[in-house]
Amino acid sequence: MISVSKLVKRYGDLVAVNGLSFEVGKGEIVGFLGPNGAGKSTTLRILAGFLGQTSGTVTVCGHDVASDSIEARKNIGYMPEAVPLYPEMRVVEYLAFRAELKRVSRAERSKAVDAAMEKAGVADRATSVIGNLSKGYRQRVGLADALVASPPLLILDEPTAGLDPNQIREVRKVLRAIGKEHTVLLSTHILSEVESSCTRAVVIAKGKLVAEGTIEEVRRMRRSPALVVVVRGDAAKAEATLAALDAFSKIEVDASVPRQEGESVATLRCSWKKKIDATEGTERAVAALVAAGLAVRSASAEQSTLEDVFAELTASKDTE
Amino acid sequence: MRGFWPILKRELFAFWVTPLAWVLTCVFLVVQGLHFSVLVKNFSEMASIDSDQTPIQAFFGNTVLLYLVLFLLVPPMTMRLFAEERRAGTIESLMTAPVSAPAVVLAKYFAALVTYAAMWAPTILYVIILKRSGFVDWHVVGASYLGVLLVGAGYLALGLLMSALTKSQFIALVLTALVLLVLFILGIGEFVTRDGTMIHDVCAYVSVWGQMNDFASGVVDSRRIVLDATLVVLPLFVTTRVVDSWRVA
Repeated sequence: MISVSKLVKRYGDLVAVNGLSFEVGKGEIVGFLGPNGAGKSTTLRILAGFLGQTSGTVTVCGHDVASDSIEARKNIGYMPEAVPLYPEMRVVEYLAFRAELKRVSRAERSKAVDAAMEKAGVADRATSVIGNLSKGYRQRVGLADALVASPPLLILDEPTAGLDPNQIREVRKVLRAIGKEHTVLLSTHILSEVESSCTRAVVIAKGKLVAEGTIEEVRRMRRSPALVVVVRGDAAKAEATLAALDAFSKIEVDASVPRQEGESVATLRCSWKKKIDATEGTERAVAALVAAGLAVRSASAEQSTLEDVFAELTASKDTE
Repeated sequence: MRGFWPILKRELFAFWVTPLAWVLTCVFLVVQGLHFSVLVKNFSEMASIDSDQTPIQAFFGNTVLLYLVLFLLVPPMTMRLFAEERRAGTIESLMTAPVSAPAVVLAKYFAALVTYAAMWAPTILYVIILKRSGFVDWHVVGASYLGVLLVGAGYLALGLLMSALTKSQFIALVLTALVLLVLFILGIGEFVTRDGTMIHDVCAYVSVWGQMNDFASGVVDSRRIVLDATLVVLPLFVTTRVVDSWRVA
């Protein structure tokens, strides 16, 4: 569906995208992952035909986005990051306009608009003026706009940005449903988003591809870096017990956690050794602490952030 | 011409659903109505018709009022056409739909032109009022409205170009007003330069004043039409190139 090869985009001296190549096949839901400023939006804008590239080729559904732009655009439902909409129009008016612009025939137009509103979850605000809608609803109108002509390919730039957790869950549900019928490329800087809705991930940083893989591989990249346990009792004893397990490369003791008077509670942050499985290791650690007569208040695997993954990815790149 | 009709409809919607067009139409009709009533009063108080002008001629030609109205009307009409879309970011959804740059430019232009024509439409009542009380030369009426349309068409095209050059509606407004002012001052040059010099001829050629005097007397001069057509086609062409260039920037 999408084929990007040696894509470069320069803004004056700034190189936003630097020799990026990747493919998206039919039926995939691909997460386009990267920290802020990695070149995600720029790449998606080039794919959508809004920006021209400096060099390299991009084809969408077999059409070159530079030389055959209109044909390429016909196959894309694009939702820009800021979700720009005309505030003076009502939701149905706007979607009918977009449908006509995208060449949905007059006979099918109102049906297409209704279906898109239903899928994106804005049917209950159909006659609201867009300027009066909340951010969450505007996001959904943008999604309905991308869907209205039933394009084979959807390109969504940070579809969950700025939403509250409930709305994020709603949008993810919608994305999973949409992914059954369309090929989707969505950008995000949130790892868990890729895990929850994508089949594959493309990771970029500073305009370059740093990793590409299935969702299992992403999960592996995302393995927990450390176990955090809170124990009541002798912190030194706890540290010794954990060290004896031979599962941790480093143990940091933090006794500064707020506690009730007279109690001695310590937080230990234990970094996993490379080969250790986090779930099994957690069980062993808790069992050992309890056996040593310490009271375990909590034990949780620390979630790795995108920054950790990037650190790991770029580090492994360097050693290769 | 992919996307021409839906964009034209949306632009007309944007003009007439927001108060913009209504406010401008109101101001326009108040000024023109006052102008007309003063004219009619003057003509009716003449003891004998010693003027070689008819009220229609006086309404459209030989008056700075028509120009003043255009100067007030055109910049606010065209300022938002591109500048607003670029500031709000809606240009991104617009240009990623399967539409061509010429279609976008022409649709926006014709929306402004149709709105402009709609503002003039009620003034036909004045002609009907005159007709009921006397003789009206329909050729002069036709030529006058053609002149008004042609001059407006050129000005709107210039305004559209200015709107494409900046993201700020205010700057687009100021730029358009400046360009129209320069054109008007060039036209005035006809009266301050010596007869027979080239600068005099150029000034006389671009003079809106001269054009409206001609058209209001029923003289449809093809040279004037060529000038107006140039003022439409050239800015529209440049605007199309500007819109295309956004993809590269």
